[in-house]
Amino acid sequence: MDTNPIPVTVLTGFLGSGKTTLLNRILSERHGRKLAVIENEFGEVGVDNQLVIQSEEELFEMNNGCICCSVRGDLIRILGRLLKRKDRLDGILIETTGLANPAPVAQTFFTDDEMRRNFRLDGIVTVVDAKHVGAHLDSGDESVKQLAFADVILLNKTDLVPAQELEALESRVRGINAFASVHRTLNCDVPLDRVLDIGGFNLDRATEIDPKFLEPEYPFEWAGAYALPAGVHELVIGHPVGETDDQGHDHGHDHAEGHHHHGIENELDVAVMPLGSLAEEAIAAARESAVRVFSDGERRMKAGERIVPGAPLNRLLLDEGSAAFSLEIDKPGLFLVFEGCGDEPLHIRVSGDTVKPSWQADFHLEHEHNEGVSSVGIQQPGELDGKRLNEWISGLLRTRGNDIYRMKGVLSVKGAAKRLVFQGIHMLFDAKFDREWGSEARINTLVFIGKNLDRAALNEGFNGCLSA
Amino acid sequence: MQLTKHWAGQLDDYVIDLAWSPDGAVLAAASASGPITLLAAGDGARRHELPGHEGGSNAIAWRPGSQVLASGGQDGAVKFWDAAEGQHTGTASLGRPWVEHLAWRPEGAAPVLAAAAGRKLVFLNPDGGVRHEFSDAPKTITALAWHPRGGCAAVAYFGGVCLWDADDAVAQKEYAYGNGIHALAWSPDGRWLVSGNQDPSVHLWMPEIDTELQMSGYEGKVRHLSFDTASRWLATSGSPDACIWDCSGAGPEGREPVMLPHKAPICGVAFQRLHSLLATAAQDGIVVLWSPERRQPMRATVGMPAAAACLAWSPDDTLLAIGSEAGFVYVLRCEP
Repeated sequence: MDTNPIPVTVLTGFLGSGKTTLLNRILSERHGRKLAVIENEFGEVGVDNQLVIQSEEELFEMNNGCICCSVRGDLIRILGRLLKRKDRLDGILIETTGLANPAPVAQTFFTDDEMRRNFRLDGIVTVVDAKHVGAHLDSGDESVKQLAFADVILLNKTDLVPAQELEALESRVRGINAFASVHRTLNCDVPLDRVLDIGGFNLDRATEIDPKFLEPEYPFEWAGAYALPAGVHELVIGHPVGETDDQGHDHGHDHAEGHHHHGIENELDVAVMPLGSLAEEAIAAARESAVRVFSDGERRMKAGERIVPGAPLNRLLLDEGSAAFSLEIDKPGLFLVFEGCGDEPLHIRVSGDTVKPSWQADFHLEHEHNEGVSSVGIQQPGELDGKRLNEWISGLLRTRGNDIYRMKGVLSVKGAAKRLVFQGIHMLFDAKFDREWGSEARINTLVFIGKNLDRAALNEGFNGCLSA
Repeated sequence: MQLTKHWAGQLDDYVIDLAWSPDGAVLAAASASGPITLLAAGDGARRHELPGHEGGSNAIAWRPGSQVLASGGQDGAVKFWDAAEGQHTGTASLGRPWVEHLAWRPEGAAPVLAAAAGRKLVFLNPDGGVRHEFSDAPKTITALAWHPRGGCAAVAYFGGVCLWDADDAVAQKEYAYGNGIHALAWSPDGRWLVSGNQDPSVHLWMPEIDTELQMSGYEGKVRHLSFDTASRWLATSGSPDACIWDCSGAGPEGREPVMLPHKAPICGVAFQRLHSLLATAAQDGIVVLWSPERRQPMRATVGMPAAAACLAWSPDDTLLAIGSEAGFVYVLRCEP
C-alpha cells in the first residue's frame, strides 16, 4: 500500500471572492495530476474529466457541541471513499461555503491515526474580495475566522480598490493574521506554488515564519509628511502655555482608552526623514530608514535646540508635555516626521503659519480591532523549563482553547539538544522534537492567532517558563 | 487444515464489496469505479459484467434464496439485477447522493431491502417500489443491520442507533451514543446489538433486557465486527491485534478478550457462517484463519501483495473470497 499521505488544500472565502476562479485555475494548470475536488453544495466547478464531489456540510460535535472538538462528518465520509481507489490521488482540494468555519474542516484531518496516515492538510487558502471584505469583517464573524485560520491569503480583485484603501486593508488583514502570506491578485493570478504544497501544517516547516511579522510593531507610532521650504522653521510639541489656537494641532487620530505613554515622561523621540515623493515605495523606504535611526543612538535636545533631518534620533526634552524646537531645512522638499509616541500633538510652523501634513499614518499594530481577532508573536532567546512549559500550554488550551484558533512555533527546551516544534488548532495539539539546534542560536519562536488574545498575559506566561 | 488457492480474478479498481449468491454458485464483486462482475464459484469464469453505477458502486446484496442482486452507488440509485441473465431489471432512485448501505431482511419474512443514502433510509420492495420512506436521520447513516429474525433494522448515525420495525416502520427503540459509529452487528441469536465506534470502542446493547456495555482500549476506531454462529465470540478490528470478546452469558464485561496478533492494523474480520473459523486481514496483506477457542488459535496464514478490502465466506463455508485494494479477487479453499 502506498502510504504517502495525500496533500489536501482547503479553499475558503466568501461568495464571490473568486475562490472558484482559483480552483479552476489549479485544475487547468495541474491537469496532469489526479486531483479530486470536494466542493460545497453550491459549487460550480466546471472542468471536464475531473473528479468532483459535492458535499453538504455536516458537523460531528465530538464533545457536547464544543467547536474545538467538532469535525466535518461529510468530509470523513467522502475522504474515506476517495481512498477506495486502486490508484492514489495526487491531491485533494476542498472548497468550503462562504460561511463555513474552517476549524472543523482542519480538525477533520487530526481526528484519528487513519486520517493522519492517509492525508496531509497542506494549507488553508483564503480568498478575499478586496472591495467587500471590509464590510464582511465589520458585520460577520466567519470571514474573520477564515482569515485567522489561513496560511495564505489572496487579496483578490485589487483593481476595484484604490491603492491607499488596499494598504489599509492589508494592514487590517495582517492585524488579524500576521503569519499568513498575503498576495494581492486580480483574478487569483498567483503562482500556484504559493498556494499548493506549502506545508502550512507541517511541523518541519513550523519555523518558516517570516521574522518581520513577529515584530510588526514599529519603534514609532505616528508619521506625517510635510512639504517644507528651505530655512529654519519651528517644530512644536504639545500646547505651549498661552496657546489657544488648536487648528491643525492634532493628528486627527483617536487613541483607544487606556493608551499608555511610551517611554519616559516628558521625553519624545522624533526623526525627520527626507522623502522623495508620496509614492508607496518612497514612504516605505523612508520608514525603513527611520527604523534604523530609531534603533541607533539618540541626541538629547532641549527646548530651542536645532533639529536636522536624518540621524541621529532626536530625544526631545519636554516641559509638562510641551516644548518648541527649531527645524533646519537645507533644501526644500518633502519630509516625513516620525514620532515615538503618537499621543503628542506635533506641528510645524513656517514663518508662523502651521503647515498641515499632506499624508499621515499611525503605526499602531491593531491588536484589538473590532473583530477582536489578532496575532501575537513571541520571539525570545533562552531555554524553557519543560515541565512549566507543559503546564502553561495545557492550561492555556484548557481555558482558552476555544479562542486560540491556531498556534505554532519552535522552542528551545532545557536539556534537549533538539528543537521542539509544535502546532495546534484550537485544542488539538501536535508536538515533536525535530532536529538538533547545532550551531544555530536557541531562539524560541511562538505565534498565536485567536480571539481576545492578551499579549501581555501570553508574554508573561511564556516568560514564566523560561528556565533561570 | 489446508488453505489453498482456488482461483483469482481481477477487477478494474479497488474491490469495494463482495457477495456470494445464496446458492453459492456465483461471487459478485463490485469495483469502486462502478462495474459489478459475476464470477463462477468453481473456476472464476466471468459469467456477466454488470455496468453498476456511474461514479462508482458502493455496496451489493443478494436477495435471500434468489438470483436477484441489489446494488447501491454514487449515483444515488439502488439497482436490481437478474444475475442469471445478467440483466438490469429495475432502479429505485433515492434522490440523494451516495447509496452506501444495503441490507435485505433475512429469509422467512416478507422480503424488504433497506437502503441508506446520506440521512435518508428507505425500505424497498423487491421490484424497486418504495415500501416506506423514513424521515431523515439526525446525521448521515453510517451502518445498517437487520435483526437476525427480521423484526427490525438497526440504523446507526453519529449520535445513536435506531431500531425500525420492519412491518410498521415505527421506531422500536432509540439508543443514544455520543460519538461516531462505523459498524453494526447483531449476534445470530439476537441477544446482542454491537456498534464499532470512532472513540475508539465497541458498545454492546441487549435490547431484550435494556442493558448496555462499553468495551474500550482500542488503538483506533473500530470499523469491523463479526459474530460467530454460536453468538459467543465477537471479533473486532481497531488494533494490530484482532480482539475477540466472549459474549456468552452476561457478556464480556470483566473478561479478558482473546487477542489474535497481526503485525499491521486489522482491516477485516469474518467468522464462517455455520462453523467457527475466523478470518482476519491486516493492512500488510496477511490473512490468517483462527479458532479463537483453542489454546493455539492460529490455523493458517496467507500473504497477499495488497491489503484486503473485503472478506466473504461462501454459504457452505468452504470458500473464502478476499477482495484487495489493488483490485484482485482471490478465492481460497478451506479444507479441514
